[in-house]
Amino acid sequence: MATERLVNLPALPPKPRNLIPLWASLLLGLCWLVVWHLDISFQTLLWGWQDILEYFSRYTSPDFRDAPKYLWLMLETMAMGLWGTVLAFIIAFLLAPYAARNLSPNPWVYNLTRELLNFMRAMPDILLALILVSSMGLGPLPGALALGIHTAGFLGKFFAESLERVEHGRYEALDAVGAGFSQKILYAGWPSILREMTGYTLYILDRNIRTGAVLGLVGAGGIGIALYDTLRMFNYNQAAALLIIMLGTIIVLDRLSGLIRSKLH
Amino acid sequence: MLNLRWPTPDGRPPKALWVTALGVLLLLLVSAPLVEFNLWTLVTKADDTVLFVGRMFHQQPEWEYIPQFALKMLETLEIALLATVLATLISLPLGFLAARNATPYPWVGQIVRDVAAFLRALPELVWALVFVSAIGLGPFPGVLAITVVSVGFMARFFADALEVIPAGPVEGVAAHGAGWLQVRSFAMFPQALPDFIGTLLYVLDHNVRAATVLGIVGAGGIGFDLVNAIRYFEFERLIIIILGIYLAVTLIDRFSSYVRGQVIHGGVQRHGN
Amino acid sequence: MAIISTSHLSKRYANGTAALNGVSLALEAGQFTVILGPSGSGKSTLLRLFNGLETPTEGSVSINGTVLQRRNLRHVRREVGMVFQHFNLVGRLNVMTNVLIGRLAYRSWLGSMLHLFREEDFRIAHEALARVGLAEKAWVRADQLSGGQQQRVGIARALAQRPRVILADEPVASLDPVTSTEVLGLLKQICREDGIAVVANLHQPDYTHQYADRVIGLNSGRVIFDDAPGQLTDNRLQTIYHRDSQPQETRHAELALAHA
Ligand SMILES: Nc1ncnc2c1ncn2[C@@H]1O[C@H](COP(=O)(O)OP(=O)(O)OP(=O)(O)O)[C@@H](O)[C@H]1O
Ligand SMILES: [Mg+2]
Repeated sequence: MATERLVNLPALPPKPRNLIPLWASLLLGLCWLVVWHLDISFQTLLWGWQDILEYFSRYTSPDFRDAPKYLWLMLETMAMGLWGTVLAFIIAFLLAPYAARNLSPNPWVYNLTRELLNFMRAMPDILLALILVSSMGLGPLPGALALGIHTAGFLGKFFAESLERVEHGRYEALDAVGAGFSQKILYAGWPSILREMTGYTLYILDRNIRTGAVLGLVGAGGIGIALYDTLRMFNYNQAAALLIIMLGTIIVLDRLSGLIRSKLH
Repeated sequence: MLNLRWPTPDGRPPKALWVTALGVLLLLLVSAPLVEFNLWTLVTKADDTVLFVGRMFHQQPEWEYIPQFALKMLETLEIALLATVLATLISLPLGFLAARNATPYPWVGQIVRDVAAFLRALPELVWALVFVSAIGLGPFPGVLAITVVSVGFMARFFADALEVIPAGPVEGVAAHGAGWLQVRSFAMFPQALPDFIGTLLYVLDHNVRAATVLGIVGAGGIGFDLVNAIRYFEFERLIIIILGIYLAVTLIDRFSSYVRGQVIHGGVQRHGN
Repeated sequence: MAIISTSHLSKRYANGTAALNGVSLALEAGQFTVILGPSGSGKSTLLRLFNGLETPTEGSVSINGTVLQRRNLRHVRREVGMVFQHFNLVGRLNVMTNVLIGRLAYRSWLGSMLHLFREEDFRIAHEALARVGLAEKAWVRADQLSGGQQQRVGIARALAQRPRVILADEPVASLDPVTSTEVLGLLKQICREDGIAVVANLHQPDYTHQYADRVIGLNSGRVIFDDAPGQLTDNRLQTIYHRDSQPQETRHAELALAHA
């Protein structure tokens, strides 16, 4: 019976071309080229696994003698993260309405603000810290500024996108009563996205504290410089202590901000 | 007489607002000495910063540097790409192990999630520092550092994406006798794919930015030239590097938001026939 | 021999709900069986037990003489196709792949990880698609089809596995009347021509009269009617849909009155 039916089976339409194998092999080829160009040999990783294990075993006896100093540095890192985040929030708060397509007073302002935020985002915070350190001197303040400028780009973009997603009717209602630009944003814009804003800001705070831990590498304060120094002197025991303190703090903060964010939802 | 009040029952600002504002202000005050905040230095040093940035534009860029710059920038992009691909390959199975609805054993899922949290807790540069002192200078420790952090992020986001897929099609496939892996590859993977791609693009974006500074600790890419240009005030190179980074990061950003838009909005039509 | 048989089948969910109480049934090949019953009477639970999507608390299910167990689940499911109220297609895959999913139980994991199938599987899927009249939609994404078309793809998916039984849990509850008759007609035709036993949960007594060979009435997890559709008088329908507990509204009214 089945074969009988087979004879007058209606033909399938032509099969569309499946481009996935093509793209996958292109990507594979590209990766192979990259590995060759970067001169990476995974064999060394395979052959040298004993050396690598030995290397990581050097971190197994952390030395907490200088713990108070490290904790103080971690505190400094956290302060940097906080100041950076507040700065970012202020900048983003002021710029975002101009970068929201549906609110911006004119396309010029819109494009200009967007590009400005984009530029801030594109400049890595380490680069900004390097520049600010060489013009302002060593210390945590340039670090905080660098974090603030870089993450303002992110916050500004996220805020603007949230403002764009607010129902059109809410802005229209404000237009209808004759509200001005700033009134529209204050009474329809921000209240509608308050929750998202808080979430983003907490996330950025988290991120800034995490990144703040490396700004010390370029002289911008915080715990990074201590890590750099201990590793340069091959003091693995102290480096291990530093890493543990960093990790502990970051994980606790991560849990905390996760908790607050889930409370908000 | 002017009698102002807030539109709340008691006429005072909403409690959530002023408590938060006060709390943040207090924290800022307490931490001000920690960041060595000083308005005076800020104002006076602002001058120096403007001067510093101004000097970049006063010099002719060093055109002969461009070929070397291009090579280093290429290396940067290669590091980011390779690390992203490696991290994706590692994170896919981890994501399935960590997702509550896909994991074979819940305790395995919890362990994977904790390991992922550990991997992403420390920034790339710290891992780079560790890997450089383990296997020496060069782009390889950079690739490893970025891979490690990306696995931390992707494993977690892949798992999150899997946990929110509708259960109906999963049951539909299982009801036809599909095996464990078959259910995952035919019902779960396709449904989570748009989210996977979204995550992948965000991570790629982030990795390009992270790769630009790896050179600071000797882990390859443009970062090494960048630090030197700033340390030795080579403004004629610095301007090229900064504009180059800006251009590259922006291009990748545009590309990934275009693809993301295609996958999320245009995807239905495109993949349909 | 009965194609599906159960003995003293009971199901109690983890939260304590007793969904089925000692159901013993024997369903024949080539019969169209309709299960009727009020909401919560255990219809879905019964079908899900037939397919091993739930495990019984007591009693057992045999498909074609094999007792369903954890070990042979995959093997037995080859014989049992399932059609769902909400279709449960994988929307992002095209129609052909969705139908090929019916072949997975016969294939190893290695090829299916790469979404590769044999020529033979394609022929079977093609045939199933032609059977439900959707061959021309083979390469369209499943979520672009109308509800009725999606349900037909669901039936094709079940057909592709060459089953002895097709279970259908409210297959037409999300469809309009015209599409509903189309889908039920298709199931009936499959039942007749291929000798496949079809077991469908329905909420519509008139469809039941039209399509069923045998009707099983469930109430509170017990079989209280098992006969030909001709015997389904209004009176007996009333007993099937009878509710024990008082409706919520009256109890509320009583409460309110007690305080008056
Ligand atoms: N996963 C579950 N966990 C706990 N209780 C359940 C579960 N699924 C069903 N039940 C309960 O079991 C009983 C029978 O449910 P079932 O879904 O089989 O009813 P049904 O006859 O299909 O109803 P409907 O016509 O509304 O689909 C109900 O009381 C229901 O609340
Ligand atoms: Mg049901």
